[in-house]
Amino acid sequence: MPSPMGILFPESVLSSPFVSVLAAFVAVNTVIYATLAIAKLVPAIHIGELIPGRRRRFETRSIFVDSERTYGDREPKRAHITESSREV
Amino acid sequence: MFQRSVGLVVAGVVTVGAMLLWIAVSYDTPTSSYALGEGIFGMWSFLYSLDVPTPRVIVAAIALAIFFAAGINFLEWRVTNRSRRSSNAFKTPLAPKLVMAQTRHVYAGPMSFTVLIPAHNEEASLPATLTSLLSQSHRPERVIVVADNCTDRTASIARNFGLEVYETQENTQKKAGALNQVLSIILPDQGDNDIIMVLDADTTLDAGFLKSGVVRFESDRALMAIGGLFYGEPGSGLLGQMQRNEYVRYSSQLNRRRGKVFVLTGTASMFRSRALREVARNRGGLVPGTVGDVYDTQALTEDNELTIALKTLGALITSPAACTVVTEVMPTLRTLWVQRLRWQRGALENIGAYGITPPTLRYWAQQLGIGYSVIALTSFLSLILITILALEAWIWFPFWLGLGIIFTIERVVSAWKGGWPARLLAATVIPELLFDMFLNLVYIKGIIDITRGRQGSWGPGGDTKPDVTDGELPGHVLKLGAR
Repeated sequence: MPSPMGILFPESVLSSPFVSVLAAFVAVNTVIYATLAIAKLVPAIHIGELIPGRRRRFETRSIFVDSERTYGDREPKRAHITESSREV
Repeated sequence: MFQRSVGLVVAGVVTVGAMLLWIAVSYDTPTSSYALGEGIFGMWSFLYSLDVPTPRVIVAAIALAIFFAAGINFLEWRVTNRSRRSSNAFKTPLAPKLVMAQTRHVYAGPMSFTVLIPAHNEEASLPATLTSLLSQSHRPERVIVVADNCTDRTASIARNFGLEVYETQENTQKKAGALNQVLSIILPDQGDNDIIMVLDADTTLDAGFLKSGVVRFESDRALMAIGGLFYGEPGSGLLGQMQRNEYVRYSSQLNRRRGKVFVLTGTASMFRSRALREVARNRGGLVPGTVGDVYDTQALTEDNELTIALKTLGALITSPAACTVVTEVMPTLRTLWVQRLRWQRGALENIGAYGITPPTLRYWAQQLGIGYSVIALTSFLSLILITILALEAWIWFPFWLGLGIIFTIERVVSAWKGGWPARLLAATVIPELLFDMFLNLVYIKGIIDITRGRQGSWGPGGDTKPDVTDGELPGHVLKLGAR
């Protein structure tokens, strides 16, 4: 296959110690980033959302004194929850 | 001293990290044999190499990735939980427990919104911003356009909308200074259910933004701030699309994090007045700056700084999925360069000002992550270049091809919500790779600038304020916080 490639370096450069180490270094990095990419593709698991009752609050946090809502008006599971304290 | 060398610290840590990895892999004596096989696919024959790192190396790399990702998430989780549970009124005066205790059985009246719109010569974009604001299902009780050193019709446009205009007095400290002036006047009269919203004059709110804020603030009196999720405006061709993709990914990331905020965006954020008062009270003590100032006028990215200040004081903050805004995208590489350099320098200066503290750990990790990706991407592209320039025929590397496919899928999926233009751009890979390289160059320039700039301007008898406006474009001086 005719090709314009290989115009600058001899092919032996690829098996030189420096390029070999560079290739291994890049390989490790690429696998690291690929792992992170796969992690981002997997749906995030929020354990607190899976346990019933974890979203219930000890007391109302509403601004209305007589409110009895202890779940607050947080958005449902798939929307995100306030970075708030279930523990408070 | 620490603040001056923040760029060098970050660069040093990532370089040492990369060197350690380099040494580790060189001890492993890798051999790239490039042993070739020849395959035939129909009429077409091709060369391939089954060079693959040893399973040991692959497992080690995966373990490293999991270790870092899990470690950072664990640290952040611990820090967040610590402020949630804190009852230390001296260190975390905005912690939920304390706020709850102070407001228990007290009704401070209905929610009231005061919107501040800092504007410096914004006659072109202001009408759209005001229209989107005034057509919200929950109309704000008060809107003040903060006209800062305007020489155009900004103030008269605001008055034509029937709105209040506050013209700054001898303000030389840009957006932060302008907001501080007006906040010093209105904050003392604000109650616990009074919300201050800061809205950029080049940002339009999506319908339901304020309503969603009302619901959140009403249902949680310990909630101190809500940040908007921003999307890029249409237009500006390929460069605009790249920024839109970036913003879509950022929003998706926040959704995955269930609204855990990195930055309460300067484009549109809402604050309970108690939060702003506490920040002003604690400046010069728990958080940097001048006591009495809500915004730190020394900070280049004052929205990022205020976010770190609130987290330091233990405040509960979030970015709900319903609070979205559309913000401008930079139309040219030059304006994008200026904007990103400001963000980058600002982010570094902010963490430098706070030092290494639990609330800033995530931000340090972010800087180290970007720093390392500069090294990783550069070495990756170098290897590709060397290989192409040395090989005499095209060779397929299934291992690398496989990894490339994984990355492409991730890019497309993460940009999916941006629609077909976003997905197509992501699928082509190369433009976004170049865009990343552009951002990496900005990162390096930011580190060089912060190191040189600080040394230059903080020398004996020099100006105490670093000269951060170099290269600033007219009309852009107030848009420091579009993130």
